[in-house]
Amino acid sequence: MNFIESIKIALKALWINKMRSLLTMLGIIIGISSVITVVALGNGTKGAVNSEFDNYGASSIYIFNRYSEEIYQEDLITNRDYEVLGRIFEKQIEAKSAIINYSGVTNKINDVKKDINLDVNGVGNEYDKVINFELISGRFLSKQDIVSRKNVAVIEKELAIEKFGKEDVLGEKLSIKRNDEVKTFIIVGIYEPPKSLLPAMGERAKVVYIPTTTAGRVLNLSDQIYFMQFSLKKDVDAENVIMQMINVLERKHKNIDQNKFQGESAEGQLEIINKVMKILTSVVGAIAAISLIVGGIGIMNIMLVSVTERTREIGIRKAIGATRKDILIQFLIEAIVISGIGGVIGTAIGIILSKIVSHFIKIPATTGILVIIIATLFSTMVGIAAGMYPANKAAKLDPIDALRYE
Amino acid sequence: MIKLDKIWKVYDTGKIKVEALRGIDLEIKAGEFVSIVGASGSGKSTMMNILGCLDRPTNGKYKLNGNYIEGLDEDELARIRNKNVGFIFQTFNLVPRVTAFHNVELPLIYSRVKASERERRVTIALERVGLSDRMTHKPNELSGGQKQRVAIARALVNNPSIILADEPTGNLDSETTIEIMEIFKKLNASGATVIIVTHEMEIAAITNRQITFKDGKIISDKLNNCRNYEV
Ligand SMILES: Nc1ncnc2c1ncn2[C@@H]1O[C@H](COP(=O)(O)OP(=O)(O)OP(=O)(O)O)[C@@H](O)[C@H]1O
Ligand SMILES: [Mg+2]
Repeated sequence: MNFIESIKIALKALWINKMRSLLTMLGIIIGISSVITVVALGNGTKGAVNSEFDNYGASSIYIFNRYSEEIYQEDLITNRDYEVLGRIFEKQIEAKSAIINYSGVTNKINDVKKDINLDVNGVGNEYDKVINFELISGRFLSKQDIVSRKNVAVIEKELAIEKFGKEDVLGEKLSIKRNDEVKTFIIVGIYEPPKSLLPAMGERAKVVYIPTTTAGRVLNLSDQIYFMQFSLKKDVDAENVIMQMINVLERKHKNIDQNKFQGESAEGQLEIINKVMKILTSVVGAIAAISLIVGGIGIMNIMLVSVTERTREIGIRKAIGATRKDILIQFLIEAIVISGIGGVIGTAIGIILSKIVSHFIKIPATTGILVIIIATLFSTMVGIAAGMYPANKAAKLDPIDALRYE
Repeated sequence: MIKLDKIWKVYDTGKIKVEALRGIDLEIKAGEFVSIVGASGSGKSTMMNILGCLDRPTNGKYKLNGNYIEGLDEDELARIRNKNVGFIFQTFNLVPRVTAFHNVELPLIYSRVKASERERRVTIALERVGLSDRMTHKPNELSGGQKQRVAIARALVNNPSIILADEPTGNLDSETTIEIMEIFKKLNASGATVIIVTHEMEIAAITNRQITFKDGKIISDKLNNCRNYEV
């Protein structure tokens, strides 16, 4: 009996017991759809996170004081430290910036009572090379701005639109209020931040860049800085550089092995996130695998029932010339068709479900063709595994006994 | 074409052994029209199952179309059942829930005949039994006589050399019985060897040769003088 013929016969047999077939498929449907959903959301998140880090330069590192009660005046990172590190690691560093950040507010130009939250970052003139920066108009902060502590600002486009209602605001004044102190900056550049694939939680503060020196004065810092960010040259081992830099700092501050400094690499964070995603995916994958196994057992059970129910039919088929192989293939294909259809339905539900979930929790979903192929193959294999025993049982029936079966 | 040599069939059900056939010697030539009669339990069905290669004798030799059945494996027997033998049962034994057409088509599917050729041959077979207008009916939508016609169409669709019918009219009324017997007569006339088990002497009388079973043995084997069957 040829293959297509067998599938047709199997479909006919399944159609006769529509409800039962559907219930049998349920385990497979649940298993496959959850695999597809989880993998789609996992891949989507991973892709988004990775491209997010690409935007900020995957090979950049941060050095900062560990958040702790035990940090004293003499432990604080200073501009001197920054310059020393810059010199020592000149060969490894592509671009660098000290960072002093604080939050402030500004008001809408035509609605004075409406505050706009600001994320004010005092940065160096190389900062635009440390991160992926896209200037729309004007310029970035210059060395001159830093040296002479100019009150200039580079702002993001969204802020321009929100505050002034237009994009072209070069030369306009931006007043930033912090603790009731207001400082006014001249806008010298407008940039567009890279599009984030990951959702922002709540209203995002708008980003403003001003010279580090100016920020230091606003915060009344003598020489302290908050962060140092370095983007590294190609093929430089980020973790290694972090270790060496911390060594230099500890020697300089005479607090060796006291854990006053901390370094993070974007790569390291990326790795952690990817690791977490991997664990999450494999846990849900294991659950899905269990439900597939349960689904397989369900199929085996229903196939055994079916073989018993159709013993006479098997006898008839054998009496008119079906060989063992014909019967085996017939029941095996029936099992595969159940699991295969279950797999297809599960895949469809999985795709729809991942889109819905993605819509609500604002995480991107990407369903790869590979996942679909693997899911289909897997459900087919479940069908074969589950169908083998019942089909073999059917094939081995003696024609006379089967015909006599009541 | 059929040659039985001291065929024994013993059912061993544990406590007791039932000797259903006790040393049957029999020869049936191609084109014969034979009836087998005998009391209930005398071994007629057992005999038919062995003739149709559905069952194997416990002892003895069965030569069919020149081949000894003893030496054949399961698949070869399946092939013989498919190509050389057409079996018709008292209880029709149609595959439930599929159409008459598909039932008749099954032997052709198992002998890997192409779909277009299958359609042609199924159509012809159903025409021969006068059921062209019931092709898409399922067994539960057919009368007893119609079911048996479908079974006959299925038995003859692969042009077997032997037609075996175990009480084919046992579940049918007398009028339908006549119609079914007419079909067997025509089949025999067109060259097939037809062997029918029956309880009814009128039916046995239609055939050319009548074999009587008793307690697993043949007690009489005689030729009929070709009377016509009349109600
Ligand atoms: N599978 C079996 N196991 C044990 N005994 C069996 C089996 N099949 C048949 N027999 C016995 O073999 C004997 C012959 O049975 P068989 O069916 O051949 O009779 P029969 O002549 O066809 O009778 P009937 O006219 O009632 O159909 C009977 O005594 C029966 O009980
Ligand atoms: Mg009988």
